[in-house]
Formats: sequence, C-alpha cells, structure tokens
Amino acid sequence: MQLTMKSRSLGEGTHTAFRKFPVLIGLLVLIFFFLLPIIRLVSMSFTSAESFSVSAYSEVLQESVTWKTLGNTIYIVAGSTVISMILGITMAAIMAYTDVRGKAMMQLFIYLPFIIPSYITTLAWVQFFSTSGPLGSLPDWLIPNLYSSGGIIFVLGISHYPLVYLMTVQVFRRIHRDAELAAFVSGASRFTCWRKVILPMALPGICSGGLLAFLSNLDNFGVPAILGIPANIRVLSTYIYEQVIGYGPSAFSRAAVLSVLLGIVAIAATLIQVWFLRRSKVTETTVPDHEPRIQLQPIRRKLLQTLLWVFLLGTSLVPFLAMATVSLIQAYGVDLTWENISLENYRYILFEDEKVLRSLSNSMLLGFITAIICLVFGTLFAYYRFHKSGRLPKAMEAIITMPYALPGTVLALCIILMWMQPLPGWYPGVYGTPVILLIAYITRFFVLQFRGSYTAFSQLDVRMEEAARTNGANLFGRWRQIVLPLILPGVLSGALLVFLTSLTELTVSSMLWSSGAETVGVIIFSFEQAGYSTYSTAFSSLVVLTILFGSVAYLFIQRKWKQRGRKV
Amino acid sequence: MITLRGLEKHYGKTSALSQVDLTIRDGEFLAILGPSGCGKTTLLRLLAGFMKPTAGSIQFGETEVANSKYCSKPENRNIGMVFQSFALWPHMTVEEHIRFSLKNHRFAKKRTAAEQADRVTEVLRLVGMESFRKRYPTALSGGQQQRVALARAIAPEPDILLMDEPLSALDAELRISMRKEIKQIHKKLAATIIYVTHDQGEALAMADRVLVMQHGQIEQTAAPEEIYQHPKTPFVATFVGKANLVAGTWEENHFIPAGSHYRWQDNGVSEQLKQQQFYPVRPEEWQLLPPDAEGLKGEVIISQFQGTERHYVIRVDGQEYQASLPISVPAWREGDLLTLQVKGMETAVSREKILFR
Repeated sequence: MQLTMKSRSLGEGTHTAFRKFPVLIGLLVLIFFFLLPIIRLVSMSFTSAESFSVSAYSEVLQESVTWKTLGNTIYIVAGSTVISMILGITMAAIMAYTDVRGKAMMQLFIYLPFIIPSYITTLAWVQFFSTSGPLGSLPDWLIPNLYSSGGIIFVLGISHYPLVYLMTVQVFRRIHRDAELAAFVSGASRFTCWRKVILPMALPGICSGGLLAFLSNLDNFGVPAILGIPANIRVLSTYIYEQVIGYGPSAFSRAAVLSVLLGIVAIAATLIQVWFLRRSKVTETTVPDHEPRIQLQPIRRKLLQTLLWVFLLGTSLVPFLAMATVSLIQAYGVDLTWENISLENYRYILFEDEKVLRSLSNSMLLGFITAIICLVFGTLFAYYRFHKSGRLPKAMEAIITMPYALPGTVLALCIILMWMQPLPGWYPGVYGTPVILLIAYITRFFVLQFRGSYTAFSQLDVRMEEAARTNGANLFGRWRQIVLPLILPGVLSGALLVFLTSLTELTVSSMLWSSGAETVGVIIFSFEQAGYSTYSTAFSSLVVLTILFGSVAYLFIQRKWKQRGRKV
Repeated sequence: MITLRGLEKHYGKTSALSQVDLTIRDGEFLAILGPSGCGKTTLLRLLAGFMKPTAGSIQFGETEVANSKYCSKPENRNIGMVFQSFALWPHMTVEEHIRFSLKNHRFAKKRTAAEQADRVTEVLRLVGMESFRKRYPTALSGGQQQRVALARAIAPEPDILLMDEPLSALDAELRISMRKEIKQIHKKLAATIIYVTHDQGEALAMADRVLVMQHGQIEQTAAPEEIYQHPKTPFVATFVGKANLVAGTWEENHFIPAGSHYRWQDNGVSEQLKQQQFYPVRPEEWQLLPPDAEGLKGEVIISQFQGTERHYVIRVDGQEYQASLPISVPAWREGDLLTLQVKGMETAVSREKILFR
C-alpha cells in the first residue's frame, strides 16, 4: 500500500508575524470604533480651553443641582431595583418550583415588558392612570401620580423585573432536587431549607440578575425623560441629555464630567455582575429540572394562578389596551363612546405627518444595516474569540462590551465627541447625518450579536468541524456545509435582537438625531413632549403590534427549524 | 509506513509529549494505551494534523507531513477519524454523512453519482446500518451513532484510520461486541489503524501491537501477550497486568522477597524491574496456601465473590497484595491467616494439602 501525500501540503505554513497581521488590524479597528470614543470622553472631561484642567469637575461638583441629581438617581435606581428583584425572584421561584398550570403562556407574558421599549410601556401606564383611563371613575386621591419619583420607580421596576426573573429561574431550575431533599431529610423545615440551602445556592444568579436590573435602571432614559422632566425630577441620564441639548458654552465638558461619573458606576457594576456570573457557572453543568417540586392543594393552586394572571395581565396587557383605546379617540380627554371612536389619529400619523413614515423607514433601514454589519463582523469575531483564548482576545471582548455597558446617554456623548473629528485634521462630517446614528448603533449593539453568535459556537462541538476536516473539507466547505447550518438559528436570533433593539432605540437617538434623520423613538418622544398624546399612543400601538407580530413569526420559524433536524 | 522521529509537544512549559520515536507498519492495528493525561490524545491529534509538533517530525511513507516548522492540514492527509463523541452532524441524515466524506475526501476514488450511491450502500451494509440511511443522528441510539461515525471514516478508504476512544461512550456490553466488529472491519480494509484507549482490555483484545504511555513518554511497545506477560517497567506491570510489585532483592537469577529467605526464580522479569528490585506478580499468579506452608505470611483483609473468580486483598507486612483465584479453589474468609506463594515456584506443601486443608 502506497501512502500518498499532495506535494502542496507542505510549505503552506506561514510565518507567525504574518499570521498575527490580521489580528493586529482587527485590534486597531476595535480600538478605533469602541475604545477611542470613550477615551475621547474622559479626555474631554479633563479639558478646559484646550488644556488639561480639572476645572469642569470642580465646577460641576460644587453645584447643588449635581448632588440633587445624584441623590435622585440613587433613590430611583435603588428603589426600582428592589421592586425588580422582589417581583423577579418571586416569579422565578413560583415558575421553577410550583405546579401552577399554563407556565408556557405565563412565560410569554413575563417577557412582554421586556421586548416592548420602556418609553412605550411608560406611555401605556400614563394612559392607564390618566383621568380618561379605566381607573378614571375613581376619586383623584386614589389614582397615583406617575409624574413623580415613585412613578418612575414603579415603571422602571415593572419594566426590568424580567431580567431578574430570567437570571434566577435558570439557577433555581439547576439546583439539584436532591439538595433540597437532603435538607428535608436532615430535619429542615421548608423555610429553613430556603434560607440555608436554596437561596445561598442561587445567590450568584440572583445577584447577577439584580445588578443587571440595576444597570438597566441606571441606563434608562425613556422613563425618567417622559415622567421626570415634566415634574422637574432629574436623574443623571436625563441631566446629561439636557446639558448636551442645551448647548451651553461649556455644555460638552460639563456633560462629559457627569458622563464619566455615571460611566464609572456602570462599568464597576458590570464588572461585579460578570464576576457573579462566573461564580454561578458552577451549576451550569447540571441539567435544568423542569418538573414541579411543590405540589399545591388544588384550591391554593387555583388561587395562586388567578393571582398570577391578574398580575401578568395587569402589568402587560391592560396598560397597552388603555393606550390603544386613547389612540382610537378623536381628541384627548374625550370620553370613550362608540361615536367618539375613529381611526383619525392613525390616518393622521400615516398619511399626513410625513415625519412618521420617514422615521419608520429610517429606523427600519438603520436597524437593517446595523443588523447586517453586526451579523457579519460580530459572527467573525465570535468565531475568532471562540477558537483563541489568551489575554488579547479577552481584552478585545472587553473592548466591545464597554459601549453596551455604558449608559446610552454616555455613549451618545462619546460618539459625538469622537466623530466630530475622529483623528486630528479629519472631519468626516457625519455629525448631523443619519450616518452617526448608524455608527452609534453598531458600536452599541455589536456585543449583542457577538454574544448570540458566541453562544451558537459554544453549543457546536469542535469535533464536528474536525470530523469535516479529516474528510477533506476545506475552510469554505466546512463553513458552508457544517458550521453555518448549525449556528444559523443562534446567529439569526442575535441579529433579530440587534434589529429590534435598533428599531425602537431612543436614548442614543435622542441625542444624535437631526432633521430628516428622525427615528421611531424620537418621533414618539417628541409627540409626547409636545402633548400630542393621541398621536404618540397611535404610533406606539403600531410599533407594539409590529413587534408582537415579528416575535410570533420568529417563534414560529424557530420551531419549524428545530423540528427539521429531529424528524425520523 | 508512519515514522515518528523525536516527536515533542509542549503547551507553554508543560510537556505533553516528549521524545517519541516510533514506526508503524502499513496495515498494522496499533493501540495507544495509557491513563488520562498521558499524552495519547495529543499523539493522535498530531497524527491527524490538528496541531503542530514543538519538535521532531512525522512521516507518512516518504513524505514528511509535520515538523516544528511546517504542518500539513488534516484535510490534506489521507486519514479517517472516529471521535469519542462521534461528532455526527445533527442536520444531516445517515447517508448524507457518508456522501459528505465521499465527496470531500481528497484521496477518495473519483466516483460518478451512481458509483457514490453504490458505495454508500456498501459501507452502510458493512456496519449494519443500511435500514437507517434516512435517519437523523438524534433518532439513533449510541451504538448506531457509533456505526455511522465508523462508516463515515472508512467510506473514502483512507490509508490511516485514527480512533480516539471510540467505544468509551457506549455501555459495557455494546463495547465488547463492537470490539469484534472493528477487528473484522480492520481485516477487510487492510488500513493502518491507530486506536487510542485507556481500557487495557480493549487494547489487548484488538491490537497487533500495544503502545503504553505515561507522562508523555512511551513506556513499552510490544505485542499484547508480550506486554502482559513481560512488562518492561513498573508502570506497565501495574497498569496493564494489574501486577503486585513485591519488593525485595535480586541476586543473579533469584529474587528474595523482603523480610524472608525464600528464593523465587527469574521467569523473564525485565532489567528495569530488576534494577528497581521488584518482582511483579499478577493477581492470578498467586497461590494461597495454609499458614504453615512456605512463603509470605499474610492475612485476608477482603474477600469478594466475582462470578468466575474470587478476589482477595491480602496484607503482608503492612503491604496489601491483590490476588484472584478461580472459584473451583476453596474460598478463604476475611481474617484467615495464610501463606502467599507464586505459582510454579518450588513448594514443600503437597497438592492434597492445598485442596483439602
């Protein structure tokens, strides 16, 4: 038997320095797009009249309004995080351990506030509690005033509890049933078992979820902007927005100082969150256990189910119905009767105000291009990151995570400062055009695609690709026939997330938009600020319907896809 | 012929493989045996081309496929591979797996579509999976998945077949029956098979030659009988033959166990064991005699019934020795005092005394 070997097989080895070349280029590009804007912001905060100074810091820190804003921020973020955690943990415990029926349906309703942008949720709650809302007949003192710190805390808490739920329910399900049983056998009561066994084991997951809610509350702009600005309640994110929009003489360096303060808190919280996430990975090897562990008496179970549905419908469906109702009446404040119902508001926003359709097509296009660019480069980077470990790839991952970890207002300011003059002497002129929105979206949401693609790769056994190699498939053949078909569902769901998030983005857009380059979020926000509640609710209702339709279509396609590989 | 010369692989400062020199004949079935972390998988992955050696070279026939500077890609080597986790592609049916390797493998015979279809049928028939050709991997049992992985590897008729613990994911009974099938396939194909395993039973049963590795180095390479009966190193003696290493002193052709004055004859103990003053005794080589007989005095610590044989742990001078005897011999109970002697050595006790004590 003659062993044969292609002659070209040798000599293909390339010099290591040459191999590193693409990686170095990639690193430079990443630093330019993701890190340099942040460096620009920090250096701006230390600049006064073209030279190094801390005068902006001393000026901002001496003002009482800064401290008042900081106080508000801490109070509101802490309050809403507590609400998110209580709701999230309770829901997670019930869904993971009890035998209530209809969990799959409940799960969908839990996620609903999560996929609908928070400024639309806020509008819905405003309409729910307004005098013409379903509670309008109640005496005034019984209806809470949403335009207050308490109102902001409430809406933020409701919007972000799914984050805590998501992180904790996984951990709860992965705690081995036997751990609990062992506690009972050792004589623990159910309460002791929770206190001494389940909660300590779930703690990393709970903390991680809590910090995620904290970050989202800190980052949020839509809720405090809609509810806080009219009531003169400022938090850091809205204060930075006001500074930048206000264009004072030292607006940018003042905003930069505030942004650095906010950014430090956010980055610190992110690092702690990542640390907790690592710790909770210990339980990741175990398989989640979906069987109920607590069998409730039928009466109690039905009571609990009713309670859950009242809560879920009350927080996710009723406000949106209230919002849809407002969008159907002719003028704000008019009673809801059959005669007053019309589609006039929809006719107006769709056919008369050209800004609405323009914003919709802008957002669609921006979201689409962002998703495509992130899809290609995010997946390539995920592939690189998955196959290389070491300090450099880890550092690169940290770099692309930063723009997402930073609050949106802070990132928007970074982008402005960076892209007015990216390199000395280069003025690309993108500020004030849709291009800067595109750059901002890509910078911010790149990591979402990276994570989605990375997860897809990590679920792919490396051996599958190696098996293709030993059968002679080259890089292109392997990708086309093995890797792509297997990672596609994960990669596409990442792209869908990027698209949906970009489509309804408000925070970054509100600081970067320009006339002609309005986005969906900006138009809804400006309708609401100008007092056109009927238009803002009509547009919001359209957006919610689009999102729901898109999500259902996605779930349907995903289910079909999963069945493909299973059929016998 | 595969030739490895001075092959080394280091990960940073730790060395996974050091100074491996080896020649593998065409058509040979070579088993690489060793505990986890001994470097056997590293060696296999170097042969496949998944990584580059730190030093040394690999030759397939006359062609050098890897050295410290160059390393040809796996897809350019005339190999087939069976993975421990099977590595089947969940989105392809059984026959698509086979067709993939027929289409892509660079050394496979050029076939028309009809010839390809014939080859798919032929290979599936060989592994007994013909009736499952339209199935997806998720609809197959572990053993069936294993057959598909095997079929995929042999379909393009590679010169070298690499197997990375292919049976370890299967249950015990299936493992035994798959041993026979792999052996039969080897006879039919005449390909060189390099088979990595940590199961000494597998290696001894299937291979023409067994290579025992530890700490990234070759301990011994020899035919299964040779490895079992004449281990070269203490590690091979204990890992392959589960031998007890009796300490003592070697004097020319005799061994004197520590703390006694008996002499055991040399029955082919290796130089290295002699230098370390050990005498290897496999569990089935012991004779258990009444306490007044000549030999090592000991006490039965554990006595376990195992079906075809009985396992004993016997403590002698603080040392514990393993022994296993056929159940036809009368059993000893835990706590019994007895004498240990190696079979075939001179004893003063008559045969009757052993059987009717």
